Amino acid sequence: MFMLRKLVHGVVLLTALTAAPQEAPGNLPLSTPGDPGIPGKKIPSVTMSPAPMVTVTRGKPNTVSLRFHVSAGFHVNSNRPKSEFLIPTALKLNPPTDIVIGGVRYPAGEEMSFAFAPEDKLSIYTGEFPVTVEVRPLAGVFPARYMIHGELRYQACDNAACYPPRKLPVQFEVNVVKGPPPRRKNPAQSPHVHT
Amino acid sequence: MKRDPVVIIVVAMVVTVMLVFGFQMARRSPRGGVADAGPNMKGRTAPDFTLESLDGKTVHLSDFRGKGVLLNFWATWCQPCKIEMPWFAELQKQYGPQGLQIVGVAMDDASPKEIGEFAHDLGVNYPILVGKEAVGDAYGGVQFLPATFYIGRDGKVVDKVFGLKGRREIEENIKKALAEGQSVEAQK
Repeated sequence: MFMLRKLVHGVVLLTALTAAPQEAPGNLPLSTPGDPGIPGKKIPSVTMSPAPMVTVTRGKPNTVSLRFHVSAGFHVNSNRPKSEFLIPTALKLNPPTDIVIGGVRYPAGEEMSFAFAPEDKLSIYTGEFPVTVEVRPLAGVFPARYMIHGELRYQACDNAACYPPRKLPVQFEVNVVKGPPPRRKNPAQSPHVHT
Repeated sequence: MKRDPVVIIVVAMVVTVMLVFGFQMARRSPRGGVADAGPNMKGRTAPDFTLESLDGKTVHLSDFRGKGVLLNFWATWCQPCKIEMPWFAELQKQYGPQGLQIVGVAMDDASPKEIGEFAHDLGVNYPILVGKEAVGDAYGGVQFLPATFYIGRDGKVVDKVFGLKGRREIEENIKKALAEGQSVEAQK
C-alpha cells in the first residue's frame, strides 16, 4: 500500500510538471523597447475589456467608453499616425437602425522612437487605451437593450518587425430608456385680473 | 477475471500523463508559420514565382538564376522595412557588379502607384514586385515583415532573416549568397 501511495505521488508530480505552463523558446516574452527582440516568437494581439452595459437615454447623446489592450512588447499606430502610409487604429461600428453613432474619440498617441528609427517619432498606443463612442438613440426608438457590433482595425509592430493589419470584432450593449417627460409649460395667464 | 485495482490505477495515470504530455507538445509545436518554415527552407531550392513588377513586367524568380538574390518581403505600412530599403539600394550598387540582385516583394494593399512612390522616395534602385499571398505562403507564410531570403547563385536558400537586422549582418548574408553556387556561375 505504501508503494502504491508513493507511485501515485510520483505520477501526480509528473503530471503537474508537464501540465505547468512553460516559457518555452516559442513563448519568450518580447523585448523591451531598445532591445532588438525576436520577431515572430509571439503574435501580437489587441483585446477589448468586456464593456458593461450602458444605459442611454433616447433622443440624447450618451457616451460609452471602451477599453482596448495591446499585448506586451507590441504597439499599434494611434488614430493619427505620423505618416500617411501607416495604418491608423480605427473603430468602425454598425449600429442598429435608429441608433446613431455621433462620433468616436481616440486618445492622443504616445510619441515614441524605436531602435530601428531613433530619429523618427511614431504616434502609438501601447498597453491599455480607451476609445469613447457617442451613442444617440433617436427619439422614436423602442426602449430595450440593443447590441452594437463593429470592428477595430489595427496594425501592430514590435521593435523589429511589423504584422499585417488585423480586425478585432467589437460589441457592446446599450439599454435604451425613455427620457424624463418634457416639462409642461404653464399656460399663459390671462392679463385680466378677475376679482 | 478479477483485475488488480493497483494495475488499473497505474494504467489510468499513465494514460493521463501521456495525454497531458501530448497536449503540451501539441501546444508548443509551431503551427506552420514562418517560424518553422524558414529553417526548413535553408539549403532547399527557393520556390519559383511569377509576379508583376511595378512597371507591368512579368518577373520570375528563376530569371535571376546565376545571381545571388536578396528577396525582401516588405510593405508600405512597415516602419522597420523603411529603414533597410535605403541600405539595400546602396548594397545593390556596391555588390551588383559582383552578381547581386535585390528583389523587393510588396505585400501591400496599396496601389502600385503608391508603392512606386514610396519606393522612389527611399531611393530604391532594384525591382519591386507586387506580392501575392500565394507567394508569401510558398515562403512559409510571411506573417510579419520585413522577411528576407538570401538565395545563392544555384537558386538554393542560403539564409533567411525575419525582422530588421543591422546593415553589417545583411552584408554578411549577401556575401554568403554570392559565394553559394559559384560553380553555377563559372559554368555559365
